[in-house]
Amino acid sequence: MKNLRIGAILGALLMVAAACSSTPAAKEGGTLIVALPGDIVRTDTALTDDSNSSYVIQQVVETLVGLEPGSTSKVVPVLAESYTVSADALTYTFKLRSGVKFHDGTDFNADAVVYNYNRFINIPTALQDYTYYIGAVFGGYGADSNLESATAVDASTVAIKLKKASSNFILTQTLPVFGIQSPTALALGKGDNTESDVTKITGAQGGAGAMVGTGPFKFDKWTVGDSVEIVKNATYWDTAHIAHVDAIVFRAVAEEAQRLNGLAAGEIDLAQTIAPVDAATIAANKDLQLIDRGSSFNTFQISMNHNYVPVSNPKIREAIAYAIDYDYLIKTFYAGAAVKATNWMPAGVLFAKDLALPSYDVAKAKALIAESGETDLTIDFWYPNDVTRPYMPDPKGIFEAITANLEAVGFTIVPNNAPWRGGYLDDEYAGKYEMWLLGWTGDWAGPDNFLKTAFFGYVGGEPSTEFAYKNDALEAAMNAALAAGTDAEAKTQWELAQDLIRADMPTVPVANSKPQAAASIDLKGFIGSAGLNEPLNLVWLDRP
Amino acid sequence: MGRYIVRRLLAAIPVLIGLSILLFAYIRILPGDPCVAILGQHRTPEACAALRENLGLDLPLWQQYISYLLKTISGDLGASVVNSQPFVAEFLTRFPGTIELTIGALIFSIGVGIPLGRLAARKVGGWLDGLITGVSLFGVSIPVFVLGLALVVIFGVILGWLPTQGRIDARARFDATSGILLVDTLFAGRLDLFVDVVRHLILPSIALGSIPLAIITRITRASVIEVANEDYVRTARSKGLKEKTVDNRHVMRNAWLPVTTVVGLQVGGLLGGAVLTETVFVWNGVGRWVVDAIENHDYPIVQSTILVFAVIFLIVNLIVDVGYALLNPKIRYQ
Repeated sequence: MKNLRIGAILGALLMVAAACSSTPAAKEGGTLIVALPGDIVRTDTALTDDSNSSYVIQQVVETLVGLEPGSTSKVVPVLAESYTVSADALTYTFKLRSGVKFHDGTDFNADAVVYNYNRFINIPTALQDYTYYIGAVFGGYGADSNLESATAVDASTVAIKLKKASSNFILTQTLPVFGIQSPTALALGKGDNTESDVTKITGAQGGAGAMVGTGPFKFDKWTVGDSVEIVKNATYWDTAHIAHVDAIVFRAVAEEAQRLNGLAAGEIDLAQTIAPVDAATIAANKDLQLIDRGSSFNTFQISMNHNYVPVSNPKIREAIAYAIDYDYLIKTFYAGAAVKATNWMPAGVLFAKDLALPSYDVAKAKALIAESGETDLTIDFWYPNDVTRPYMPDPKGIFEAITANLEAVGFTIVPNNAPWRGGYLDDEYAGKYEMWLLGWTGDWAGPDNFLKTAFFGYVGGEPSTEFAYKNDALEAAMNAALAAGTDAEAKTQWELAQDLIRADMPTVPVANSKPQAAASIDLKGFIGSAGLNEPLNLVWLDRP
Repeated sequence: MGRYIVRRLLAAIPVLIGLSILLFAYIRILPGDPCVAILGQHRTPEACAALRENLGLDLPLWQQYISYLLKTISGDLGASVVNSQPFVAEFLTRFPGTIELTIGALIFSIGVGIPLGRLAARKVGGWLDGLITGVSLFGVSIPVFVLGLALVVIFGVILGWLPTQGRIDARARFDATSGILLVDTLFAGRLDLFVDVVRHLILPSIALGSIPLAIITRITRASVIEVANEDYVRTARSKGLKEKTVDNRHVMRNAWLPVTTVVGLQVGGLLGGAVLTETVFVWNGVGRWVVDAIENHDYPIVQSTILVFAVIFLIVNLIVDVGYALLNPKIRYQ
């Protein structure tokens, strides 16, 4: 009898546990309203380089390889089932999925992939202003492109040949701009490199031939400046992941306060980004949920130009790094949604290692200043006065806190500010600032994107005007890492590059923020990603 | 009358040319660089140089102006440097939204302002007059965006009575034809959506109409008080006419003139106010568009929008003046 009772209790407990752990069935239907910080720019994947366009396009146009939902660097197959790399690391052979159709009913096959990659190589000069990623990833166009050729081996196999080995090739091919669009639609929308005037490419302007891919959603309508609408692709090739919602409306809501109000009023289901200061309000609202994206994909730093004294002195830069109260900054300005930087790139980026950067230590900072031999400790310090950035939610507040930290160890700070687009970015890039606040949001999770592109890569064979940081060994290591034929070789070179940067402390990384999303409590199945590769076909609305 | 209109139209030409020069110069002396707006964190000196060349920004200023003027005269008002969309097509898409909002605000400000002004004039010096004058002073003083946000929070977020964003429920995914949604929904036989459009109009119309409401109230009050003290009104009363008849036939008929002028002038103010209101209410109109364009240093859009607004303002003023001349023949001969 006792055993029976124990058995019954255990059975009940198991049932409760099973009920708790089982995932509720997804509900089908409904329209999802997503608030983006701005409108998309164009409807042709290749002719975009902004995050709003990418966010929408990734739902419609698929790439050969993609990123695992939630990850910024784990590559998974999408339109290519698999790929192999030749021994010389120059040829990538992709085995494509069969039976996949574009939204216009035409077949996805090797010819379609070749058509798209040939397009990437030969983008007309007048359109290259809009194809940053293609130029940046392949080093240019035509004869300058690192893409040697794309060849159809058979109907479902494509060989892409590079001129020189590029260790970031596969990772960069996950970018939405390298999405495969229907050749028929590209020709229809004049996106076939025959038209150089972007205003006449209807495929880029939301007209005929716009955004025809193979994804779980189909493009429906773009109301320029206001919203983009996409609808469920009921015949999506990945039958296990056919979209749950019938349609998604992406609405441009520029002001963070309006995104919060729209959520609270039930007019928005998902706000892609929110202000850190709104996190507490959202958490306290039982009808809303705060979405943590797990990791960070940006770096916020105190930037310095080495042409100026005293920041040209490495001991002074190290002293500045010790003078900053990182915990206070993170707690006060990021509402905890950030971590102290341990590198010039966030932890999720390939080959990133903890560089044991200085932590808050006033005595150490003062000692380093004394050792530096510098007598004039006056620094011109700048912040942007009219924007917030995902990595810099309150520039003025952060500036004031850092200034207080620096003055506490003996620096004299000359405060300056300028409008972001009204001189700040121009002047810091031209080397007119001694010290300023800036950061970088990653494009792809390769070290080259942070260490070389964003920060310390030479421009035209010379140190950039922005930082004036000269380190030939670093430049050589980064170039060797990019040209590496194997991951192991790339890793060795990138680790060397990180050590070289750490030794010089050319700037002071402060934090890696984790911009949060917020949603209605009814939104289910959302997988956030720091890189914003967030497939919305997984999402459903738990409402009648 | 015809000569009067022609004279007024001719006078508008130098105004427009002067405005085009001022606009062109003003936009170019603003700090910043469109390269930063377009290429953002991806800009390089080479890419910026190529972009400037493509946009013609490397040419001397006078050449840029001549090119701009010739294109404008031929009806080519340029395209966005951010998303390459042509100005004219985009303006025509958004203008119905601004028209709808302006009409909503006018209906609110006239519909409430004139009765309030009449009421205050009738109770002049009393507590009701004081209250109405105080409220109208408040209406003039409070910035549109502050009032707009307050309305959003109170009626949208806290009470949940009215929608706060857009012109129609986005979930309805309604395809507009003319762009005037009140008309489109009716023609489509969607009474439910017509009601939804009206609900979406209420808060922005109140926000945008608050300043005209205050002005119309005060002008109506002042005008009615002034006319009510005229001899002919006293005569009408002494004849034993009913107060309602005196009010309608003798007071209001003469009090309309300044009110009409003020209402006409408010249309221009409403177009300006729409910039802030549309931004607060995520309203797809010309105002929100121009705010985005200013943020993005989108020169052609800002330039052309202001020019078109100026033309609209001139036309509205002309209509008001002509209307005034029709109502008051003395004006025509001055």
